[in-house]
Amino acid sequence: VLWLLVGPGVLVFLGENDAPSMLSYSATGARFGIGFFIPFVVLTFLMGLIVQEMTVRLGAVTHRGHAELIFDRFGKFWGFFSMGDLVLGNFLTLITEFIGIRAGLGFFGIRPAVAVGMGLVVVIAAMTTGRYWTWERITLGLAIFNGLFVPAAILEHPDWSAVGHAMLTWAPLPTGHQSEILLLILADIGATVTPWMIFFQQSAVVDKGMQPRDIKAGRFDTLLGAMLATVFAIAALLATVPLFHHGIDASQFQGAQFAEALEPWIGHVGAALFALGIFEAGIVAAIAISTSSAYAFGEVFQTGHSLNRPVRDAWPFYSTLLGSACAAAGLVLIPRAPLEFVVLTVNVIAVLAMPPALAFLILLVNDRDVMGEHVNGFWANVAGITVTVLLVCVGIGFGLATVFPSLLGG
Amino acid sequence: MKSNDSENKFAGKPSGVDSVPEIAATADLKDPQVILSLLEADQVVAAKQKTRFGRRNLSLGVRVLLWGLRIYVVAMLLLVVVSVLRALHPLH
Repeated sequence: VLWLLVGPGVLVFLGENDAPSMLSYSATGARFGIGFFIPFVVLTFLMGLIVQEMTVRLGAVTHRGHAELIFDRFGKFWGFFSMGDLVLGNFLTLITEFIGIRAGLGFFGIRPAVAVGMGLVVVIAAMTTGRYWTWERITLGLAIFNGLFVPAAILEHPDWSAVGHAMLTWAPLPTGHQSEILLLILADIGATVTPWMIFFQQSAVVDKGMQPRDIKAGRFDTLLGAMLATVFAIAALLATVPLFHHGIDASQFQGAQFAEALEPWIGHVGAALFALGIFEAGIVAAIAISTSSAYAFGEVFQTGHSLNRPVRDAWPFYSTLLGSACAAAGLVLIPRAPLEFVVLTVNVIAVLAMPPALAFLILLVNDRDVMGEHVNGFWANVAGITVTVLLVCVGIGFGLATVFPSLLGG
Repeated sequence: MKSNDSENKFAGKPSGVDSVPEIAATADLKDPQVILSLLEADQVVAAKQKTRFGRRNLSLGVRVLLWGLRIYVVAMLLLVVVSVLRALHPLH
């Protein structure tokens, strides 16, 4: 029964534990070890849970995707702005997923073109099932392998008392360049709360056919997803702690380089698990994010947008899904393409684009004409607005650090 | 205002589909196959319950909020470009 209850919530959180996110947690562990960032990652998932719970209610009550609701209630002007943020963020993120797929399989000596081709085959296989249910089960089945980071972390023999101490005290605090710390804070937040998650989960809730009476099950699904994703994220962080203890500079590492660098401490099996985890993170997110773009495209242009529809009935939906995946995969294979630009910015852009997405979400869940009795309560609004204000403040901090680098010792 | 009456949105029984609550009342909910069949019925019901919502009137406060956040995003994206250019082409 548990297998039947889980769905969009688990999928969205494990999908967001994607290649750049796992690399961000790995970079955090390698740079700062066990300390402040462990409870901070838990906090970011709590923020994600607050946001995603609202999308479950919105989808189950309205049976409308997020993009079409914004167009309905706010008009085309604001609708296209929010779509612009989504399309830009999704495409950049999709590129990083294929970078993760290439890097993960690169550890096993698989050539980039073969690795990227394998990723595309999985995306196509999932989308051509013809049923939302089958698509969801296949993707969930793959997403479970996000747990590969757990044995990789255990092989590192973490200091559990230090982990417990960090959870209780948020100490030791990170030291070093304040701008570097701020960038990792931004990247770790962007690894957990992003606009595509809002659009994807609401559309998936609608495609699954959830009803208002399913909201409780949807909340459980979302909570379970957040908890699993938190454990796996912390595992990725713990797995790279040996690099911190041995003073290895991992600031420019990609997936395969992390796995190779960790091999002396977690063994070949541990390193292989880590590399497979990066590959899995890229695959699941590539499926989820390309589907998120396709849902939004179908909703905005009023064409068929359901995984339950055959390809001939909803070809614009499937074309968007496949086209975005192919374009991202193709870019990754271009020699000397400035991919580091994308990797550096993708999580930061996600955080910076989040406040407007949250504003639309909070306005919609407070709209009694839309939500009826399921409108946001006082504490849900306090939580939602707090998350939004926090994200704006972090973004302004990033802005100040960029314009005045000396402020933060950068 | 939305185009359909929200009070009646879930009240109607879509034609050609058995009501899910009716099925649920008589089904063995411990049987995963039964739950699966209910979920698939839900998809049909939900598709028929799709409602178009009309434009809402945006108050001055909401418009200021949306414009403020829009300007914030554009400004921040420009700063991202600046910071990446600095990272990729350091002066020193």
